[in-house]
Amino acid sequence: MANLNEIDPNGHAERIGRMERDGLLTASQAAQLRESVQPRGAEDITTSLRARWPARWIGVFLVAIAVVALGAALTGSGGGPTTVQDVSSALNQPGGVGEMNATVSKLIAVAILLIVPLLLWAVLHNSLVAKEENVFEAWAQTESNFQRRADLVPALVESVTRFIQHESETLTDIAQERSQATGRLAQAVDELINTQKQAAEVLRANPELLIENQEKLAQLFAGQTSVGRSVGNLFAVVEAYPDLRSADQFLELQAQLEGTENRINVARQRFNDAVGDFNGTMRKLPWSLVASAGRFQRKAYFQSEEDARRAPDINFN
Amino acid sequence: MRQISTSTKRLTIALVAAIIVVGGLSVVRELNAPPELVEDDAALMSPEERAFLAEFHRFLTKDHDIDYRVITVKDSGDIDQFAVKRFEKLFAKSSRSATGRGLLLVVDPVQDRVRLEVSQTLEGAFPDAFIAYVEQRQMVPFFRTGRIADGVLASTELIAMRAQNATRNAGFEDEPWATTSAGGGAVAAARIGEGPEQIPVPPSPATAPPTNTPQQALQAYFDAMGARNASPDLAFYTPATRQMLSGWTITRAQMDSVVKTYRRCNAEPVKSDPTSSLAVIRYPIAERSCAPFFFQNIDGAWALDLTIMQQAIRFGRTNAWRFDQSVDHPYRFAFADWRFDPSGFPSRAR
Repeated sequence: MANLNEIDPNGHAERIGRMERDGLLTASQAAQLRESVQPRGAEDITTSLRARWPARWIGVFLVAIAVVALGAALTGSGGGPTTVQDVSSALNQPGGVGEMNATVSKLIAVAILLIVPLLLWAVLHNSLVAKEENVFEAWAQTESNFQRRADLVPALVESVTRFIQHESETLTDIAQERSQATGRLAQAVDELINTQKQAAEVLRANPELLIENQEKLAQLFAGQTSVGRSVGNLFAVVEAYPDLRSADQFLELQAQLEGTENRINVARQRFNDAVGDFNGTMRKLPWSLVASAGRFQRKAYFQSEEDARRAPDINFN
Repeated sequence: MRQISTSTKRLTIALVAAIIVVGGLSVVRELNAPPELVEDDAALMSPEERAFLAEFHRFLTKDHDIDYRVITVKDSGDIDQFAVKRFEKLFAKSSRSATGRGLLLVVDPVQDRVRLEVSQTLEGAFPDAFIAYVEQRQMVPFFRTGRIADGVLASTELIAMRAQNATRNAGFEDEPWATTSAGGGAVAAARIGEGPEQIPVPPSPATAPPTNTPQQALQAYFDAMGARNASPDLAFYTPATRQMLSGWTITRAQMDSVVKTYRRCNAEPVKSDPTSSLAVIRYPIAERSCAPFFFQNIDGAWALDLTIMQQAIRFGRTNAWRFDQSVDHPYRFAFADWRFDPSGFPSRAR
């Protein structure tokens, strides 16, 4: 029998179900929220990108070269055992090349012509792979921060919607102004659920080649920016409610969301740095030759300048 | 004449060589000098405060391998970015922690903001919510009255307590890859010089809690702390205590800390003096963080005497209490059966 933690490790399904039962969310909002917090499949985004042919073939080539070199060395030594060793043929004669030196020369020639370039190729290839790995790691960090924020949203929604319900039930003679503010709060929650769902869809729709497609990555960034903006907007509306704003539990949630927002910014910058390093190296000689033969793809950036200016200014203080 | 000229030349060469050697050595020493624990570029602290803070933070490194740096800066720009970049720069080259446990506090009086940046190794023990709590509930109340060093020090006390708990429980997550900051921590409005925080006083009960025994007075105190009632005018304080508290900065975190600490303490029976005008509630020696409470009987009701407690009791780095042996006080009668070491720590029963 499946463990409850395996089915619902973060307790989202249980929380959202509870909110729906308590009338805090409509069926449609619950469905949207449920969908938005589904983690992306466990498939490793880097697996398909890592499967590159040259690494394997370079290995095969190196083995083949080693076999050829060994063969040349063995055949070059010539002759069977003799009772009395006649070394005269192996001695260098004036103006001639001895048999032993000829073998060594062949080996050196093979090494210089084949092994050294291949080793050089392998070194360049590996340096590109290492830089690409940095990009994947930075991407994984960014993605996990998106998920971290998505995981916090249901708790935020529950906290605010419970407060709205409490306000509506206890203040029967609720003033017009207060009632409008509660409406704004409900609207902000609705907007957050919506943007969160849309952002999750973008992330799920393009899991594999997202970081190699500037347009898709821009879409993702726009979606995640909207989520950040919606969270910021919700907190701005909450400012009108000192009781909610100053509650320890709410402050805790605020701190976690603000921390996550900062982590997203840091991860985004580190991702861009890693991409810049990889893309820059890929364009330089001799890496560009290795990159084109190895089918390395240029990686996309999170747009920084203009988008950063439009990025949500989440200041919960 | 020629001889004098040669010796002068030699002397000159020797002097130049000495200057080069001394200069070179000082440059090398400068390059190798460990960075300061407190960099007060915004001049918010006195040299004595900086030195005291640095000393306190050195102990944090010694006891818990946590390298806690403090920077005050006149204008940090984007304080979040400033903190993460400065963290990288400081800790990549010269971390004092062997396990990559780093904390960086940035105080920016121009923007009136404060940020505590946390290395990834410490994120498990010090999550963002805890850091926000430390800043908003402990540090900022001191900043409001302009006491920057005291605010930082008070935050360090909470951090040290948390580190002790982490060591006792699951320990830290020391991963070599996690020595940098991933943006963990929290930022808060510093509110420097805004004036004392007005913590809302919870409504008083219709009848004051009874204080017919020291235990009742102590319970009333714990209840007030649990309700975060920082009012100095509560009935279970002695008049001197009320006067003392009226000028104090009492933070929510301090009140929470009292409740949390004493929840684990097992009080011994009350000890009264022969005239029954003074009483002490103390805890077993093994419960080192549970300091004793002193009471006075005033007109038949028992009141908490925090003034003598404040003068006579000190807390060490591990949050263990001790008596300041230079302070004489009338409550020593309750400890006649205990021995104290020269530093004032209770060692064992006689």
